[in-house]
Amino acid sequence: MNPKTLKYILKRVVLAIFTIWVVITLTFFIMHAVPGGPFVGEKAVTPQVQKAMEAKYGLDKPLFQQYLTYLTDVCRLRFGPSLKQRGRMVIDIIGDGLKTSAKLGVIAAAIATVLGVILGSFAALRRNTILDRIIMVITTAFVSMPSFIMGSLLLVAFAVRSHIFPANGSTPAGLVLPVITLMLYPMSYITRLTRSSMLDVLGQDYIRTAKAKGVSRTNIIFKHALKNALIPVITYLGPELAYITTGSLVVEQIFAVPGIGRAFVNSITNRDYTLIMGTTIVLATFIVIMNLVSDIMYKVVDPRINLE
Amino acid sequence: MKVKKLFAIVLSAAMVLSLAACGDSAANTSGGDAAATETAGDAAGDAAGDAAGDAAGDAAAATPGDKTQALSVCLASEPATLDPALNSSVDGATMCLHLFSGIAKWTQDDAGNLVIAPDCAVELPEGVVNEDGTVTYTYTLKDGLKWSDGQDVKASDFVFAWNRAASPALAADYSYMFEVVKGYAEMWEVKETGQVDENGEPVVEYVNPDAKLAVEAPDDKTLVVTTTTNVAYWNELLAFPSYFPVREDVVSNESWATDPSTYVGNGAYTMSAWDHNSLITLTKNENYVEADKVTMPQINFYLSDDANNMLTNFKNGDWQLIDDVPTNEIAALKTEYPDAFKVTGQLGTYYVSWNINEDILPADSGLEGAEAEAARAEIRNAISLLFDRNYICESVAQGGQVPASSFVAMGLTDTDGKEFYENAGHNDGFVGYYNVAPEALQGNFEAAVETLKKYYTYDEASQKFTNVPTLTYLYNTSEGHKAIAEYLQSALAGIGITMNLENQEWNTFLDTRKAGNFSIARNGWLGDYNDPISFLDMWTSASGNNDCQFGKGENQKTQAYSIDLTDLGYETKVENGTWAETYDVVISDIKSCTDPTVRYQLMHRAEDLLMSTGCICPLYYYTDLYMQDPELQGFFSSPLGYKYFMYCHY
Repeated sequence: MNPKTLKYILKRVVLAIFTIWVVITLTFFIMHAVPGGPFVGEKAVTPQVQKAMEAKYGLDKPLFQQYLTYLTDVCRLRFGPSLKQRGRMVIDIIGDGLKTSAKLGVIAAAIATVLGVILGSFAALRRNTILDRIIMVITTAFVSMPSFIMGSLLLVAFAVRSHIFPANGSTPAGLVLPVITLMLYPMSYITRLTRSSMLDVLGQDYIRTAKAKGVSRTNIIFKHALKNALIPVITYLGPELAYITTGSLVVEQIFAVPGIGRAFVNSITNRDYTLIMGTTIVLATFIVIMNLVSDIMYKVVDPRINLE
Repeated sequence: MKVKKLFAIVLSAAMVLSLAACGDSAANTSGGDAAATETAGDAAGDAAGDAAGDAAGDAAAATPGDKTQALSVCLASEPATLDPALNSSVDGATMCLHLFSGIAKWTQDDAGNLVIAPDCAVELPEGVVNEDGTVTYTYTLKDGLKWSDGQDVKASDFVFAWNRAASPALAADYSYMFEVVKGYAEMWEVKETGQVDENGEPVVEYVNPDAKLAVEAPDDKTLVVTTTTNVAYWNELLAFPSYFPVREDVVSNESWATDPSTYVGNGAYTMSAWDHNSLITLTKNENYVEADKVTMPQINFYLSDDANNMLTNFKNGDWQLIDDVPTNEIAALKTEYPDAFKVTGQLGTYYVSWNINEDILPADSGLEGAEAEAARAEIRNAISLLFDRNYICESVAQGGQVPASSFVAMGLTDTDGKEFYENAGHNDGFVGYYNVAPEALQGNFEAAVETLKKYYTYDEASQKFTNVPTLTYLYNTSEGHKAIAEYLQSALAGIGITMNLENQEWNTFLDTRKAGNFSIARNGWLGDYNDPISFLDMWTSASGNNDCQFGKGENQKTQAYSIDLTDLGYETKVENGTWAETYDVVISDIKSCTDPTVRYQLMHRAEDLLMSTGCICPLYYYTDLYMQDPELQGFFSSPLGYKYFMYCHY
């Protein structure tokens, strides 16, 4: 590998670790500053029970000491036990949630990419026809509509009113609506991206040369145009996955999908400190890595780009 | 046209392929980076493969199947724990009582009434009163009791389980359920070490780290337990999940209660699968001693807390019982599903709590100490009369709730056979501390205005008070609580009292309310057992649930309370004493009282004193709303909200 590229990647990894450390530190102290605690409920436990619980989980120690202990544990990949779901380890809860979320995310990302490329290419090749206009209007609508509105609309239309799909996302059929909700935004984005980059490429000199040489239309589109037009799409894949993962926080809540997003939201409501930290770290790491991967992808797919 | 269409199809297929091809060529041209790209591709492929596998697995587990063989219900979202000693939720308790069997249980008699019956024990004999006032109970266990893994259930398992559930080491929310058992106080006794922690609070340590409850197993079949006094609700405690047995070798694994493979119970069912946040499956336990009476072979507890979601699944016919319904659908459901929509009493009260330390007198009132407190109590009680509780129940809450005229909820029987709340307040014309009948509304309103006129300036022209300090009502963010808050606000605005509304997120709200940083707050209480003391002992000075701050802060020194128990044979007679000298004393008298008639009288006295402060403004008694498949037979629920599915059939 090119030493320059290697140096760049190394720099970015160090920066990524620093970013995650900042996230951990901020989350830790903000979380403890928020009123309430993990052992608070409608029915108050006796002060002795409260004390006994705090001692059990080390919450009776000074905050900074708790922070140092936590950092050391995290470095050894120990996320500790959940404070609210007694007997369960944070890592297991996250693992369970990730499995479901990944299922959702991978399916949604795959469909969004494929459909987006197809629709975008159509729109570009049929520029200024009625088909192009329809595709553009629809994708503009989907790009500007937040997922919680889209999710609620789909839920009402297909689960509550017509019973086509179950409302509960814990069954395979129940994943259909959340997947659709999650994929609409990236699909529309990719459609628009493909369209504009395809138009750009189609206007390039080398396409004109190919045409002049008598290359067939099919060959021009697939061999010459599409290949280059997809560069921005590929680099968008990283942010797309990151969007889908964070976007699923809301979608999982709407459709009651037992994914990591729901675990995250519930952990905050419950002040389940260890689970809040665990999910934050996992999500932050994921997003940081995705951004890193997408930056490196730029270089990989288009050697003209200078990483520095 | 046809050619175009064909072209479109081919093009779309080709584009998909070219996407993959493009990825390859990129990898090839950039040499060393190929490995990275491939790894990413593999990971995606693996994830997709896993996803497909999981989907198939889920499909098998989630097949609705035959409802006569497997009942599908949804009570709430994932329970925090299914360890019977640690559980503190109603839905968790419902699951625990299907998975465990205690000394006693709730069941239905032939007439359909809920009664306590022996479960693991052959019978529930009366206790023997000892010389020191303690009471000893001796239980004989039934023959053939087995754990779900086939081992015998021994009396020593109960000894272990009770000591564990009560212990500071476990620190269970419901450890206080054992406070009536001898030895509990010693277990929790602390002394100050002389050191202080970083917050300046004294560091304490347990005086008797090895203390045990007075419960013994002389042999495998006999269990002997001693309580500190004659506890009126002892048999009910025996049916409470905290008192269920667990086996030492099972619970030594701290995560035993989170996975079916390590979950060992002795109840009517065993846990056969737990797909976290999704589904808990219980299968009939053939080792259960009364397995022949259990009619439902399998129960699927779906885990969701979304009422809309539950309703959709119920309407689809996928779930046969759901324990929550969306508030805005209640009116429609009542007419659309008259046979399925169920409302039953629940042991609880929805009320408004005042912070006793909040000064609501006008600045120039000139009142101080006990006089000021008496005036405030009168004002709070007057304001309580301004609310139309029938309107709240019928038009705001809409769930069949019952207008409340006392704090202790309905559903508790008094010694004379009537309900406890019917005897509250000792009024001849009506039940409770004020009249909640619709026709009394106008009279209540006028009386309230007259009382308030004594303390505040009333403008006859506008019919409004002009100098009542602005109040703030705190509630936790929720549509239902907001609707009630808005009604209360409008009722007060009608006579010129401004009440601002403030809402907080649940956990923050609990913290604020507990700390007493509010003037008025929404509140609710569900009883833990069928005894009024469950509603009364929470208001003692030291109680963690004393949200009104009785006997705390400034109120600690306020000498404004009187109590006279001499007619009931007690020496207690206090005039203008503090909360600790009056209320705390009645509660401790109730706890040591052995004569049921006197005990219930004492509990009425305690409630009288509580209600006289005006700090508690009950709005309605809770009801439990659920939707149940009308064809489902053999289902029942208890006033504590526990639901029993084992005897269900079609």
